[in-house]
Amino acid sequence: MFGCLWCITAGASSVPPIDLLLEVAHELTPRAQAVPPRAVLLDLAGLGRSWPQPMELAEALAAAARRRGLTPQVALSWSRTAALMLARERAGPTVIPAGQEAAAVAPLPLAALDLAPERLELFRRWGLRTLGDLAALPPEGLAARLGTEGPRLARLARGEDDRPLVATPAAESFACSLELDWPVDGLEPLAFLLARVLEPLCATLVARCRRAAALTLDLLLVDARHHRRTLRPAAPAAEARTWRTLLLLDLEAHPPGDAIQAITVSAEPTLARVVQFSLLDPAQPSPERLAEAMARLHEWTDGGRSGAALLVDTHRPGAFVVSTFAPGPFRPAAGALKEGEDAPRLALRAYRPPLPARVTVAAGVPAAVSASGLYGPITHCAGPWRASGDWWDAAWSREEWDVAVQGRGLFRLYRDRLSGAWFLDGELD
Amino acid sequence: MSAALKSQLEDLLKARRLQRDAPPLRGERRLSPLSSGLRALDELMGGGWPRGQVSEAHGLASSGRTGLALAGVSALTRKGALAAWVDPLDRFSPASASDAGVDLARLLWLRGPRPGGLSRALAATDVLLGSSLFDLVVLDLAGVPRADLGRLPHTTWHRLQRTVGPLPVVLLLLTDAHLAHGPGGVSLALSPGGGHWIGQGPGRLLTGLASQAQWSRRVQALRFDLQAFS
Repeated sequence: MFGCLWCITAGASSVPPIDLLLEVAHELTPRAQAVPPRAVLLDLAGLGRSWPQPMELAEALAAAARRRGLTPQVALSWSRTAALMLARERAGPTVIPAGQEAAAVAPLPLAALDLAPERLELFRRWGLRTLGDLAALPPEGLAARLGTEGPRLARLARGEDDRPLVATPAAESFACSLELDWPVDGLEPLAFLLARVLEPLCATLVARCRRAAALTLDLLLVDARHHRRTLRPAAPAAEARTWRTLLLLDLEAHPPGDAIQAITVSAEPTLARVVQFSLLDPAQPSPERLAEAMARLHEWTDGGRSGAALLVDTHRPGAFVVSTFAPGPFRPAAGALKEGEDAPRLALRAYRPPLPARVTVAAGVPAAVSASGLYGPITHCAGPWRASGDWWDAAWSREEWDVAVQGRGLFRLYRDRLSGAWFLDGELD
Repeated sequence: MSAALKSQLEDLLKARRLQRDAPPLRGERRLSPLSSGLRALDELMGGGWPRGQVSEAHGLASSGRTGLALAGVSALTRKGALAAWVDPLDRFSPASASDAGVDLARLLWLRGPRPGGLSRALAATDVLLGSSLFDLVVLDLAGVPRADLGRLPHTTWHRLQRTVGPLPVVLLLLTDAHLAHGPGGVSLALSPGGGHWIGQGPGRLLTGLASQAQWSRRVQALRFDLQAFS
């Protein structure tokens, strides 16, 4: 048997009526289908043991809906189509015995079928007023005039189902709370309590093939304040130990400031990550371990100062940005050095910011340099290599020289052509 | 004939010689040394930087320490492994690293300076080693004043060696002078050999830097060049 709950009004609740109806339905059966915006269809198979009489079941459904502030209309039938139409059109609980669906829906107006306006107008010109009129038409004639839709409408007009019930899954909620008998101060006792909260939460996630993309920790403090922290690691995880470590590291950096009375942890669920390992490529780092390591290095990575460097596509020498360190799947770089090209490259050890320098120029080339921690005559130099850019924004223009300072090594000097000042860019090593 | 060939292939598989740079099997302890990126230097060091040891490359300015370290990072990251560069003085140049072939997405760069100075850098190094994510951790101490290094507790390097010992990781120190290395580590002394210059007047070019690497356990030294560009 099937039932339909139709909501007339939703009271003062801010929750959409369809969600409230689903909550009511899921109290009785997991097989409930939402029919937006105001109806829910239920598969009532098996409920006869609790409510032997269908009318008692209908009244129980109505009472459950009223407890949530809804004003429902309920219909029970052996056909979902009939239950839906009757719930919408008739006030009060309605129960239709088996085999009487066609007779029950016959008096209903054609509007109960949710037809398009032009279809409704066509049927009106045909002289049809009720579902019974439509059901009485010969199916061959309907098919000839309306195609395959004709017989389908005729079946609906007789209260017959044309598709199975597709259950709407219940809204998932992953949260776990713990109220403490006495307040807790300090991270060490909190670590044990977090384990008690995280283990069942993670077990629920795993049981539903979910991972937590983010975790929100809400600590209720003794002074009634809430200390909330949300963590969102690079990859979703459902290991309690990993989340406990991440939360504790975060609380070390952002302590609650007072004793804790209650702990609530809620997870933002996401589907489990599918990973395809390769037989040929090196093993990739576990995202959970990577997240844990990055959390331990938070004082370096907070503020975006440390991570993976990314070169900026500009002519400005040495331009880069630092992004989050999150190495993805390994892909051999197309422009990588080939096997055999194993001569190491000369590297620049950059001074940040570049050191102001006093340079003596003779015959147009630097002859001596004096900067913080470095001074001496220049024995060899190569340059100048000029570059400029960003004339539309913060313009820059520089003249670079590679110089060898006697007894000190190789350095890169540059002259800012806009200001005429000299700078030591770095050491070549 | 086919049985002999099959047996030969099985022997090659067991010795993992079918693919020269085959990645290690999951769970297999990587005991092979880490390539320095320079074949001749690998031969000098007996295969490369030894894993589970603290090694150092020390030398004066422009002796090739940084270029050599980047060559090792490049060889590693191009095969998909991860490396870390702890840079308390913020001297690392991403452009130079990219020129050297480093996959920057697989290199974690910890930039200083940080409050707490060297001790924070050493703590971060400890975290990186213990995470077992990285095959090579470079601690760039070149340019750090000798006085600051002298103020570190004398047990610092013992502690780091104890941390790295059971792990298949290389900890490579870049320093101005000899600082520390593990009992099985390599202490490579680099001496600058001067720059290579071509041309005269405007348009003169610095094409490279000559360097000499000496390992105390080997009599012969290795001369090699660092190229300024390919």
